[in-house]
Amino acid sequence: MSDLLPDLLLNDRGFAFDPAGGETFQLSTTGLRVVRLLQQGCNDESIMQHLLDEYEVDEHTVRRDLENFLGELEQLGWKS
Amino acid sequence: MSAPQIAVSGLHRGDNPQPGAGIVRSIRRRYPDAFIVALVYDAMESGIYMDDGPDKVYTMPYPTCGAVSYLMRLDHVLDEAPMDIFIPTLDSEIELLVHLEHDLNARGLMTYLPDADMLNSRSKCMLSEFAGKCGVATPSTEPVYDARGALAAAWRLGFPLMVKGQYYDAHLVSGEDDLTAAVTKLLTQWGAPALLQSCVHGPEFNAMGLGDGEGGVVGLCCIRKTIISDKGKGLGGITVRDPKLEFFVGKIICHLKWRGPFEVEAMKDDATGEYTLIEINPRFPAWVDFPSMFGMNLPATLVEMLVTGVRPKPMPSCTAGHFYLRHQIEVHGHVDDIAELSAGSDFASRPASLRPRPATSPLFQSAIA
Repeated sequence: MSDLLPDLLLNDRGFAFDPAGGETFQLSTTGLRVVRLLQQGCNDESIMQHLLDEYEVDEHTVRRDLENFLGELEQLGWKS
Repeated sequence: MSAPQIAVSGLHRGDNPQPGAGIVRSIRRRYPDAFIVALVYDAMESGIYMDDGPDKVYTMPYPTCGAVSYLMRLDHVLDEAPMDIFIPTLDSEIELLVHLEHDLNARGLMTYLPDADMLNSRSKCMLSEFAGKCGVATPSTEPVYDARGALAAAWRLGFPLMVKGQYYDAHLVSGEDDLTAAVTKLLTQWGAPALLQSCVHGPEFNAMGLGDGEGGVVGLCCIRKTIISDKGKGLGGITVRDPKLEFFVGKIICHLKWRGPFEVEAMKDDATGEYTLIEINPRFPAWVDFPSMFGMNLPATLVEMLVTGVRPKPMPSCTAGHFYLRHQIEVHGHVDDIAELSAGSDFASRPASLRPRPATSPLFQSAIA
């Protein structure tokens, strides 16, 4: 897990604040779910399984969107 | 503790705000009965006229007039308004006052300032050398003394560049014409040298604190600038807690063994992800009152430390997520105030605008009629 992730401040509406960098972000409902799962220590496969269980979506779409989103989180330093 | 008697300088707010008005507000938060004297250089320093402003106001000669004139005027002020503590806020003034600590103490006036060596080590001209010794990154910087020298330096450094006055002001320039104009202006306004500094791309962070003179920091508040004016001033900021930034600032203050208020300006270089030192200011910044609103009142802590002679325990750093927005409002004055405060006059009372007066000024009655 990234050093930043445990400290990230999140509310239920997807507003996120990075206390080290001072930036704020607005996450979608799904994005918020993914970040919360990462904070709980889930790995990529586990997150994908959660999304497949919780949303009516096919595996291909989940895999593609999740890869993109996790890539963005890596760029922000939220995921190592 | 009886009400402290405190002198503060640098009361101007507005486009390029000085820290004094924020210091006055911070002190009043802890010491509502404090007797505050403003030492000003201009009757148009807007903080003179704020509602919770100073109790008395005196004009001072510019520091460039030298120690003798400065101390003579200070003696006159002290005769009229005894003070215990002086918190200077202007770089040019601090440069003079670090040489006068003995003279000020002899007059019963306490300050908490760096010594001349500390001050010189962090000067803009010495920044590259200091950063090298301290082991922190800083952009390539060259002092320039005229336009021709500036063009030669720009050729070495490459555009775009920041051009800085030796005390204040900075301009971003992207070509030779801009450079010549900016250097000429800054040399005229602030004297030589002006500084040419390579640009760093990334977010800007500032850290305000109080150095204990032994390498430690009594209190530290770090912010990311969220709104930046075209002059580079922080119109908005948010507190951050980044151990890397706190380590960076701690390293600088420890190396200097800094004594007194400071502001470290840094940027997080997008290219490296590392903090880069831009400037070290030997005073509280203009946003000094912001952390006082949620528990870190550094001006009041400084006053307490000087009055009691006891160094406070290090304060916990500010928590992340508090933000400020610079909010400009109008203050009210009257032409009588300007007359009373105008250069060369010898006044010792609170400006007329802060005293009860008839609803209509007698001065204007004839004109209105």
